Amino acid sequence: MTIIPAFLGLPSWQDLQSFIPAGVEFGGVYALSGVGMVVLYRATGVLNLAFGAVGALGALIAWSLINHSHTSFWLAALVCILVGGLLTLAYGMVFGRALAGRDPLVKAAATLGLTLILLGAMDLLWPSSGGQARSITFPTDNSSFQIGQIQVTYTNVIGIGIGIGITLATAAFLRFTKLGTTMRALANDREITATLGVPVARVEAAAWFGCGVLSGVAGLLLADLDQLDASTLTFLVISSLAPALIARLRSIPVTFVAAIVVGVVHAILEASATLTNYADMTPFVLAAIALLVLNRRRVIAVGRVGI
Amino acid sequence: MSLRFGRPAARRLTAAFAVMLGALALAACGSSSSSSSSASASSSSSAASSSTSAAASASTGTSSSSGAVDIASCGTKPGVKATGTPINIGTIDTHQPGTDFTDGPNMINAYFTCVNDNGGIDGHPLKLFVELDQTQPAQIEADAHQLIQTDHVVAIDGVFDLLECTLDAAYWKQLGIYEMDAGIAPECWAGPNSAAVNMGPRYSSDGAVQYAIDVVHASKVVFVQSNVPGTGYIAAGPAAIAAATHTPITELTANVPISDANSLAIKLVDDAGPNGAVVLNFTPPEALVILQAAQKLGLEDRVKSWGCSTPCDTDFLAKALGPKWNHKLFVNAELTNPDDHNGPDMQLYKAILAKYGQSVAGGVGSFSEMGFVLAKFLVKALETIHGPYTLRSVNNAIVNISNYKTDLLCSPWTYGHLPLHIPNNVDYTVTPDNGKMITVQGCTPISSADPQIAEYRKVAEAAGINPGG
Repeated sequence: MTIIPAFLGLPSWQDLQSFIPAGVEFGGVYALSGVGMVVLYRATGVLNLAFGAVGALGALIAWSLINHSHTSFWLAALVCILVGGLLTLAYGMVFGRALAGRDPLVKAAATLGLTLILLGAMDLLWPSSGGQARSITFPTDNSSFQIGQIQVTYTNVIGIGIGIGITLATAAFLRFTKLGTTMRALANDREITATLGVPVARVEAAAWFGCGVLSGVAGLLLADLDQLDASTLTFLVISSLAPALIARLRSIPVTFVAAIVVGVVHAILEASATLTNYADMTPFVLAAIALLVLNRRRVIAVGRVGI
Repeated sequence: MSLRFGRPAARRLTAAFAVMLGALALAACGSSSSSSSSASASSSSSAASSSTSAAASASTGTSSSSGAVDIASCGTKPGVKATGTPINIGTIDTHQPGTDFTDGPNMINAYFTCVNDNGGIDGHPLKLFVELDQTQPAQIEADAHQLIQTDHVVAIDGVFDLLECTLDAAYWKQLGIYEMDAGIAPECWAGPNSAAVNMGPRYSSDGAVQYAIDVVHASKVVFVQSNVPGTGYIAAGPAAIAAATHTPITELTANVPISDANSLAIKLVDDAGPNGAVVLNFTPPEALVILQAAQKLGLEDRVKSWGCSTPCDTDFLAKALGPKWNHKLFVNAELTNPDDHNGPDMQLYKAILAKYGQSVAGGVGSFSEMGFVLAKFLVKALETIHGPYTLRSVNNAIVNISNYKTDLLCSPWTYGHLPLHIPNNVDYTVTPDNGKMITVQGCTPISSADPQIAEYRKVAEAAGINPGG
């Protein structure tokens, strides 16, 4: 049994354990990102590729508030989340509505347009010239505890806690609330749901705002976990997309489990001497394998289908 | 049922936009304040008052002063604006999301403005043509042709680019152009038609590894850099330095942008061991994320020392890291540290930056220092020309630059007719100290254990040039 770890260049189990909290924490953030994208897709049919850019903008605004306006961390975090929610809501109300009848690919491409606009604006407002480096650190970063050999920071706990909390809350919201039920109905058939008297615009607005709030939370967490850089945060959305794809943009619980698996496998491969440079492929490889396995003997349907 | 939003929804949308714009404006004001301090202190100054004394500019945070410098000393006729036909100078610089080297050309422009306000070059103002690229080879080659054929530049000075040296070397050689740059690509140091004021990633990494072995006495070195083309060339330097002292070295690469800094930090510390050193060669944001991850996990004391090549030499990094890294992280510095040096050129650099450098977003730092040195050396070379400023006469003056001194570099700088140029091969080591970088090791030659350094010193000495080390 020791042949496989040796072949993969993995360290001993004792050393490997220390990589797991980081993987679980990343998994938690991927989970809340994936959940945000799945909920929006289910309600509006839009795959929001601007998720990362919106989160990055919120995080950079929070950084400016903390460092230049001496705002408290938690108030800046709140502003970050609100900016994410409001910006995404604004996009959804203006462009989401206008593109409602278009193909899912067109809708996704439109969010890519928003991504590029935000990326340009961030590069202009927060330049990286002259060796400028920014970071956001949570007050909980320097507080930790031990579980066996593993050191866990309270930010690790926040990351995974938010991932679990958002997943449970979203699943309960969709199942037990009137708005959640209408979202699911909207996902089945927009036109029929509208003719039944469901306030489509309001439901969609709630979905856009919710997705934006989650992008703000994810942006803030990833700015601490990874780095506060517009390009990096913008394109981390690609990794977050993998769990949502593994869940075929439908199941919230599967998105959560897939996100944790992606995070942990990624962290373990980082520890590998031979596979470390391929660790970033983890989300895509796992998504490809999952889609191949899950789609066996299925009829491929082009376009969005119901829940 | 109508799917349109009614008036209340429109009002809510307007309110949402207003909140967002407010937040953006607030953030933008905040983010620009760090770079506008020098500009606001200087923007009211007119050209006529260019003899302003620039003693220990408070805006740059200088902690010590050794007198005052006359800012008009950048030119030969204080207060007299140059009005002759311009001398066109060209540069090509990388400017893309995540890699923005525009502080270099912006500082050159600031220096040129100062020169133009104080007599120019024998009455001729200097005009800088800046071509920005996004690491696209065809674009960079086209930029070179445009500078020569359309803009009619007579010199290439101040190239801060990821690829330019590689792509344009043959074109410059064909035209007889001797470019001056602050390079990244190996060809910036390995050819006859390029000379850099910086040392670049290889020799700077050499310096950081050399410090870890010679001063910290690390029993093992783990050298990690971004996984981009050219890593083998860079890694060869530190490998040679370690081999010369029989110190084990592990060389790793990491994909950038770094997606899991915590795991990478754990891996580096595990590989180095308690008596080892970790040496990073990354851009400041990537280095910062690794070091912060190490701090969060309590790993900063689990190795003997941490090291970094020159990009880490920035107060942004020192501030972001905090006091836990004081005298724990040792950064190779290719240029004199502005925080604890205040020689005449350092004062002039800070004064010009304060008065003319509004567009230098990063303010005081390595990039703008390099821009200052590149501009100063070019101006000094141009002042040796008697007669018309042609491509031939100007490049002849550039290649004949010999023993130009500045207190921003450790040793005199020479171009010369050599097959390779590494004129800056003596450097400092700095460390964070409560939000600033301070010098912990003065001018120290990069070891000739690196075969490229040995080769340069050999050919320079053979040509009668002071090789620096």
